[in-house]
Amino acid sequence: MAELSTSQPVVTAVLASSEACARVSALPGACPVSPVEVAIVGDASITALRQAVQRLDPDAVVRDVSDGWVAHMLEGPGAREAFARLSELELPASGFVQGAVARIGVRVLVDGDRVELLVPSMLAAHLRARIEDECRELLP
Amino acid sequence: MTSGSLRFEGRDIPVREGDTVASALFRAGVRTFSRSLKSRRRRGLYCGTGECPNCMVTVDDVPGVRSCVTPAGSGMRVERGRGWPSTEHDLLHVTDLMHPLMPVGFYMKTFVRPRFAWPVAERVIRRATGSGPLPERREPTRTTSRHLHADTIVVGAGTSGLSAALEAAGAGEHVVMCDAYPVGSQVPPGRLLEAIRALETRARAEPAIEMLERHAALGLYDGPTVALASADELVQVHPRRVVLATGAIEMHEAFPGNDLPGVWLGRAASLMAAKHGSPVGKRVVAVASTEEGLEHLRALAGSGTNVIAAVVPAALVDEVPASAEAIADGELVSAHGPGRIRSVMVRERGQARRLRCDALVLSIGLEPRDELARMAPDEPVEIVGDAALGGAVPRVTGGTLCLCEDVSAHDAEQAWAEGFRSAEILKRYTTATMGPCRGAMCGRALAAFASARSGQADRAAAARTTARPPSRPVALETLAASVHEVIEKRTSLHQTHLAAGAELGWSGGWKRPFSYGNWREEYTAVRERAGLMDVGTLGKFLIAGRDATILADRIFPGRVADLAPGRSRYVLALDEAGYVADDGVLSAFEDGSHLLTSTSGGAEGMDARLREWTHRLGLHVHLLDRTSELGAILVAGPRARDLLHPLSDDPLDGDSLPYAGHGEVTVAGVTCTAIRTGFVGELGFELHHPRSRGPELWSALMRAGRAFDARPFGLDALELLRLEKGHLYMGQDALPDDTPVKLGLDRAVDMTKEWFVGKAALERLATTPLGRRLTGLTFDEGPEDAAVLRGMPVSAGGEIVGRVTSAAASPALGRSIGFAWIRTVDGELPADGLRAGEARATIAPTPFYDPGGERLRG
Repeated sequence: MAELSTSQPVVTAVLASSEACARVSALPGACPVSPVEVAIVGDASITALRQAVQRLDPDAVVRDVSDGWVAHMLEGPGAREAFARLSELELPASGFVQGAVARIGVRVLVDGDRVELLVPSMLAAHLRARIEDECRELLP
Repeated sequence: MTSGSLRFEGRDIPVREGDTVASALFRAGVRTFSRSLKSRRRRGLYCGTGECPNCMVTVDDVPGVRSCVTPAGSGMRVERGRGWPSTEHDLLHVTDLMHPLMPVGFYMKTFVRPRFAWPVAERVIRRATGSGPLPERREPTRTTSRHLHADTIVVGAGTSGLSAALEAAGAGEHVVMCDAYPVGSQVPPGRLLEAIRALETRARAEPAIEMLERHAALGLYDGPTVALASADELVQVHPRRVVLATGAIEMHEAFPGNDLPGVWLGRAASLMAAKHGSPVGKRVVAVASTEEGLEHLRALAGSGTNVIAAVVPAALVDEVPASAEAIADGELVSAHGPGRIRSVMVRERGQARRLRCDALVLSIGLEPRDELARMAPDEPVEIVGDAALGGAVPRVTGGTLCLCEDVSAHDAEQAWAEGFRSAEILKRYTTATMGPCRGAMCGRALAAFASARSGQADRAAAARTTARPPSRPVALETLAASVHEVIEKRTSLHQTHLAAGAELGWSGGWKRPFSYGNWREEYTAVRERAGLMDVGTLGKFLIAGRDATILADRIFPGRVADLAPGRSRYVLALDEAGYVADDGVLSAFEDGSHLLTSTSGGAEGMDARLREWTHRLGLHVHLLDRTSELGAILVAGPRARDLLHPLSDDPLDGDSLPYAGHGEVTVAGVTCTAIRTGFVGELGFELHHPRSRGPELWSALMRAGRAFDARPFGLDALELLRLEKGHLYMGQDALPDDTPVKLGLDRAVDMTKEWFVGKAALERLATTPLGRRLTGLTFDEGPEDAAVLRGMPVSAGGEIVGRVTSAAASPALGRSIGFAWIRTVDGELPADGLRAGEARATIAPTPFYDPGGERLRG
């Protein structure tokens, strides 16, 4: 079984040179979306981060984009099984992957039996409905 | 031993433990299990392992069920599919006697003239063929879909497959193992089964092996990906390595009488006799030229079946049980009916000899099940066990070549004579190998036939036709399990609209309000007072970084470099062919960044375009898709500024925030980027705001709007508002090959720019005739509701010269207006005499409404 919960995460977007992004990718909650874009999930001091990044890339963009994202968390022993109903992405034991989940571009943070799906807010309701439908026997 | 009964065509048939539907029916005396597809010949049990079509029956209203591999259950309803009035007495069997009337390709040859007869003939043919009627009003069932990752997949759980799985698991790999049936269920009792059981015990104790029984492999795809289907799920396995242990089936040969009931392949006969305790006949002739065949012979003899003669290679004569006459190096010539097998003709040392019998058991060679391997030759596939055998070459001397599609050896000969001279085109012409067995039974026979006829008998293996998924029949509902086509985007105001009673509909992947009850009132509110529209669906992009302006200048054909901070401009996006792909509004900021809005449906394309050209031009640009992050509300109408005024301390006057300008404005405590745009042709403020603040901003605006009787408005009102203002809908008014000049949008193109995407194409196109142009029209003498004119052809002097793309009756103008594309002659539009249906159409300049733009600039 798996629990499904939805929350509003704090997400910071870092758009910078690949060198700066590589540094930022080491931070906790970092999602290296592309060589020149990192999303950081969780509280981050934007001012400090911006200063650090702009030392490497003066016109880098560091901004709060929390409104653009919603997090659906699958948690519990059936969380990975539930995810496999929705996506062909291979989940690591822990870390970040991105790709199509129920045909939507989703960013996935994994930590054991906790699978957090970051979905654009405009598609959050749709993805939640898809999860509830595809995984109905796996959810309480 | 009886464990209930099943219902078969009006009678109860007892079911024993371990029975399949076929074994229960056979024990009860059923010999004809089906009728062949075209000639309606009787068909009895043949392969016994779920390959051939002969045993297909209808179980609980589902046609096409292979009874030989379907466990019998108490209370099942079983019927035979084909036959009129019944399968046992099928009057349509006359078609077998009318064979000359139904040659190969008879659809193309017979009944096609006279033409009027074909619809009738087609109905008759359709009713006469098929596996039986599909169930009506069946409860919809749902299949689930899942993905599975593994180091190795092993397809087939025989000895080779189990051994390969154990070996891989021993090497530390995560193994997925699948088989279409329960492990060992297709194997008669004996040494082989014991070996399988021993391996199975070890495999089940191995945690690294995930065993998926009753999961048939449908196909092997790039990746590699192996698709498996069971009764209730579709599994897509993504392994690093594929091991095929699909084994081999006993060979099907085409000789006269080969499809008579009573002709059995060895495994079927052996399973029936040794496992289900039903001898296949009272006088059995066996032909065994394989080791396995001798096993079956011994199993038959051991279960008390009366084998009267065994045709074996001379070297194996001593192995034949004493009760049977051994015929050394004999050759099977033909089997004879009528209705079921009654005798066989065998040639022994050149002498033909007729043997009276009621069953013929054949073990004359092995055909590897290799279709998965042949589907994806470039994938990392290992083939082990019998599946790796070269396989024997079947003889084709007569009888039925393809059991499923009822193609005889004679049909193949005829097709060959007509010039269809390779296995691939014989397959297409005769449909041989295209039935439910997917060529597993007959693919080799067809290849052998084609290679023998072309004098290349030694190349039979190379003549095999292409293997394609699915390798086994699969229900469409299973394949559809993973498909959910519709993706629904919502703005933050979705619930707000629902609560307001909005009628929502689809637009560009979004659910959007089309109206809130009365779109005409909404229209009037915008023209006379004020209206609010949720435009959060617009694509919204931040373009930042030191090359941001360069990117904008290169992507958009208009002048961009001179766009001052605080100003916004309409832009077109072209593709490299010079065709208009999308449009939008570009706003410049002090820090050198830009906010781009694109059409709602074009956002994904715009995102891809921005990223592609950043990359191709090697620019230092940071792109952020803010479509989801930002909401947007359009406040439009002559009272729009009055509506906003009480909610904001920021200056909103025409000097501080002029038309085509933008600025940061706090409205009801929400920080917005306000863009002065005019898609509806009135004073308008597009308030881009953080998505999470959308509902409170909307409520505050609605409250403030009460003083002016402001209304929310939807896409229905917008359709008329923008048409009056002469604005295009890209998806509706434009065609895929429209250039800016065809759309009358050349003002958004600056050909003096050094370079932009599509410029070279526009220069080339400028030297060719225009062809057509989108133009405004007014309609007279037409229908009251001009909207019905949309899509209508436009004619001039009886000739069609164009098509109406938008049309509506305009209250503001008091007449009907629209857009149409019209064919040009020497670059000119026809002067007059245009009609759209009953309406007289006149070319008119756009915008129709407020051509000077005074209201817009407000």
